[in-house]
Amino acid sequence: MNKRIIGLFIALCAVVCLHAQGTRSLKISEVVTCNTDGLIDEYGRRGAWIEITNTSWGTVNIHSCYLTINRAALNPALSVPERISLMSMVPKGDARTVLKAQERIVFYADGQTNLGTLHTNFALDASQENFIALYDGNGVSIIDTITVPVIGENQSFARLFAENKDEADTWLILDKEDVTPGSPNRGQAEKVNKVAEWKAKDPYGIAMSIVAMGIVFGCLLFLYIFFRSFGKFMEYSGKLARVKAIRKIHESAVKVAVIAKDGKESRGIDMETYMAVIGMALHEYETDVHDVESNILTIMPEEHTEWNSKDNAMREWPK
Amino acid sequence: MDYINFILDKFVDFWTYTGFANGELGNYIMILVGALFIFLAITKDWEPLLLIPIGLGIILGNIPFKAIGLEIGLYEDHSVLNFFYQGVKSGWYPPLIFLGIGAMTDFTALIANPKLLLVGASAQFGIYAAYMVALLLGFEPNQAAGIAIIGGADGPTAIFLSSKLAPNLMGAIAVCAYSYMALVPLIQRPIMRALTTDKERRIRMKPAREVTQREKILFPIIGLLITAFVVPSGLPLLGVLFFGNLLRESTKTTRLANTAGSALNDIVVMLLGLTVGCSTQASEFLTTDTIKIFALGASAFVIATASGVLFVKFFNLFLPEGRKINPLIGNAGVSAVPMAARISHEQGLKYDPKNYLIMHAMGPNVAGVIGSAVAAGVLLGFLS
Repeated sequence: MNKRIIGLFIALCAVVCLHAQGTRSLKISEVVTCNTDGLIDEYGRRGAWIEITNTSWGTVNIHSCYLTINRAALNPALSVPERISLMSMVPKGDARTVLKAQERIVFYADGQTNLGTLHTNFALDASQENFIALYDGNGVSIIDTITVPVIGENQSFARLFAENKDEADTWLILDKEDVTPGSPNRGQAEKVNKVAEWKAKDPYGIAMSIVAMGIVFGCLLFLYIFFRSFGKFMEYSGKLARVKAIRKIHESAVKVAVIAKDGKESRGIDMETYMAVIGMALHEYETDVHDVESNILTIMPEEHTEWNSKDNAMREWPK
Repeated sequence: MDYINFILDKFVDFWTYTGFANGELGNYIMILVGALFIFLAITKDWEPLLLIPIGLGIILGNIPFKAIGLEIGLYEDHSVLNFFYQGVKSGWYPPLIFLGIGAMTDFTALIANPKLLLVGASAQFGIYAAYMVALLLGFEPNQAAGIAIIGGADGPTAIFLSSKLAPNLMGAIAVCAYSYMALVPLIQRPIMRALTTDKERRIRMKPAREVTQREKILFPIIGLLITAFVVPSGLPLLGVLFFGNLLRESTKTTRLANTAGSALNDIVVMLLGLTVGCSTQASEFLTTDTIKIFALGASAFVIATASGVLFVKFFNLFLPEGRKINPLIGNAGVSAVPMAARISHEQGLKYDPKNYLIMHAMGPNVAGVIGSAVAAGVLLGFLS
């Protein structure tokens, strides 16, 4: 039972973490506070809007996340329900809230949630700075915040995403003709069409051949160097093991020599042991010490014992 | 009378659904091509495991029918064939085949003599030479890359890359890659003979050293780390290739390795062959582009083989006597495992009945598998 509960807990944590990981890639990317000649909503009306971008290469569902312009929501002393009451939730059940890789969604910040999923319960004020925060579904974790300065009519406050992770994004005020709701912001370096670039710069494919062949060769060269070195090391350690084994044989041989010199009887060693030691040394020498021997010998006396008695090896006659 | 007219109308209506009413010359030509593939596979024993599914797939994909939303065609949503085709389209059949290849491949020859890795790398030049020629013939760089990978002599890699870079040419590229793999003996033998001297063909290579189990276990792990760090875009292929090999060499997952190398691999090969065959519908396949692709594929194979052989000859200039490599194993740098290695062996025996090259040739052969996967990753990274 406990295991099941732990399993369910881990699974739940994994799901929550995955969701959190996904929503973390959401960024507020463009805001218009005074829209009189731009984007129109489903009812043909113009109003302020907030664009959010999924910056990841996976699909992210923005449902259950919260948008707010109320700084009071930042107060850590507030309980979660109190905070949530200051926010506008992105409702569930709308396919438009599922953002594919690099996709954008626009929310109408007009304070009229009765007009649809994409309308927030707050309205932006064009005459002053607007603080905007995007919260995760738990109402506690902040995903992104910005403060939009006072901008002109139909202008947008747009984010230019940095090319490198280490660099910070930059914000620009774009004029009416450069405002791009639901599309990459003008001024953002457009993704270079790699194919077109290769075609223009390398029409005969020579550069591609040199670079790509170099990479393939380099990659396998790395492998070669590693396994060559590792092989040498293994050979060396193999030799070392052989030397140790030979040393052992040498020690055995010395013992044998001592036995032979001092006489086996005087040392209390019987003939069988004497022969076995010599046999073992010869065996190890001739087989080039390929195997590690246990060096445990069982010496069978000439007379019949239970070791070699056939009678003892047979089953009893059934009664 | 009305009743008879009704029945006749239904017969006429039925006729419009049949293949006879909808067939075009292209369909019949393709059906003959499919039949030829099956014939070659059965009578000549040319890659039967691939050519029979592809051959029947070609026939299946070219049965004409009236497209009225019956959800039966390969390109119709929700059809069974379309479901099977997703593995090709989304590119997850090739990694599964690589899993099987990894589980079946013994890298011992390569670990024992790692300089053979460089022979495998050199043979990848066929890919880039074909890329240059494809550009000259007017293909876009992404299409040229999809076609050029045929030179790697690796069907799954060719399908994987073309499904990403040139999906409209994938059918022709896949059929071309597998056809030429079946023709490896015919293509490679004359090139090997032309580029080597009698003395070179008789070079006896030093027997490979013994490889410990520890080295065999380390190879897939280190191999994956090095190749994937350099070319992360090749991860789908390289990751599963080395994973399959680790299953084999770890000695603790023999059951999994056996499944990956037998049942799973067989299932994927069947589905892959069938759906790739099906995708060669006459309207898409019988074009001048296909002829160009076949010509480029052949040249890529020829250049890859020649590069491998010539590289060994060049390499030998720097190797001391007694450590020289027999250039007959250079052809095995293309990754047609194990046919290319078998050809090296057979050619070696022809000139010296006691010169057994098979184990030596397996080195560049499996290096070719890694090399072509890396090459595919590089092209994918540059052009996708």
